[in-house]
Amino acid sequence: MLPRDDGGPLLTARSILHEEAEIDPEGEKTVYPMHSESNLEVLMVRYQQGDFAAATAIVEAFSPQLYRFFAAQSHSRADADDLLQETWLRIHKVRHTYRTGEPALPWFYAIARYVRIDHYRKTIRSTAGARQLEERAITSASLAERPDAANDLEALLAPLSESQREVIEMLKVAGMSLEEVARATSSSVGSVKQKVHRAYKKLRQTMSAAGLRKEPGEPLS
Amino acid sequence: MKDEEIDQILNKAAAAAPEPAPELLQHVAESIRPSLQPVHPLAPAWLLSNGLVLVCLAVSLAGALRAGLFGFARMDPFERALIFPALAILLWAAARTFVAEMIPGSLRRIAPPVLLLLTGAALVGLFAFLFHDPATGHFVPVGLVCLGIGLLHAVPAALLSWLVLRRGFATNPVSAGLIAGTLGGLAGVSLLELHCPNFETAHVLVWHTAVVPVAAGLGALTGVLIRMRRLRPEA
Repeated sequence: MLPRDDGGPLLTARSILHEEAEIDPEGEKTVYPMHSESNLEVLMVRYQQGDFAAATAIVEAFSPQLYRFFAAQSHSRADADDLLQETWLRIHKVRHTYRTGEPALPWFYAIARYVRIDHYRKTIRSTAGARQLEERAITSASLAERPDAANDLEALLAPLSESQREVIEMLKVAGMSLEEVARATSSSVGSVKQKVHRAYKKLRQTMSAAGLRKEPGEPLS
Repeated sequence: MKDEEIDQILNKAAAAAPEPAPELLQHVAESIRPSLQPVHPLAPAWLLSNGLVLVCLAVSLAGALRAGLFGFARMDPFERALIFPALAILLWAAARTFVAEMIPGSLRRIAPPVLLLLTGAALVGLFAFLFHDPATGHFVPVGLVCLGIGLLHAVPAALLSWLVLRRGFATNPVSAGLIAGTLGGLAGVSLLELHCPNFETAHVLVWHTAVVPVAAGLGALTGVLIRMRRLRPEA
């Protein structure tokens, strides 16, 4: 079965913030700026107008999601920190390219993806980087050899190819829709579906081989 | 193992993923504060696309008027009615794709290499359908002249298009360069159709069509150079 094309099936910045809104102690209508994509878009417009509060709100609400995106493929926390900072600087530099009415998440992820790809290219250019990547490939080679693998997103996604991994991260971890992922990766919805299908096939094989299962009695969603 | 189980394992692992330090977020917010001036968003995509089409038409028309509209004069109305609307449609499709390449997160209806292939196939099909002169007199020297004239106009058309989209941001400069070259190449072909009175099938099929892939290749090469420059370690 392919993932749903309705956006946000799993743990997302949107859903996390939504849960916080529901437990508002005042019981009043609480406005969390990042509840929905449309609010993110409103904040983006205010950010373009030079509103520092809007910029801060976007940085604070969206950074955890971006950080997970980088952490799932970075071999060190310092790398993820660098990538996050670099992404925000790049976003700031090209903030005028966001157009009102367009979905904001794919715009963010397209830039984050660009920063990550460039970082990857720079890394493999250096001998030390190549060595690091080699070490990373060795350490994440087998899920079965990792006792904490079930809680390590990087290890879980390690068997996938680069493009499959990024699609799964956006779709299942960031909770984007198929069209949003297609926009962020400059590809078609059909191509995204195909990558997800192949990724799930591979994940099923490796997770089954490693004996990863949900806890007995644990609900599926 | 069901897909839902995989979802749940991924979800659990994502929840356990590290969070960025609050100091880091504070640092990011403070680092953008000094340069937080209001910015004008890019113009709508349709406006940019139409701007690109106009630029390309202007370049090809100006070039053809300067060199002479001999090709247009020799064509019959049926040939004109097929060739120029087809070129306009291809120009519009290339312009839309170029705009999408220069705006992060745009919905891409067609990938630049696919559009290049389709453009080549459409031109070959159209020219093969319309021109049936089997002669091949001075095939290479005459052909090289046409290719040169086409490229001479394709390059400025691509550069002017780039100028129209200079405020955009190409996340993939190679792809953006390829489509910019394709667009410029189509401007070059438009010029040749207006100007060149040589209707030999082989000449039109090979040398006129070749302007598009050659220009696209030059564009992609420029994109590679831009990417290498971006990747160069800062001093």
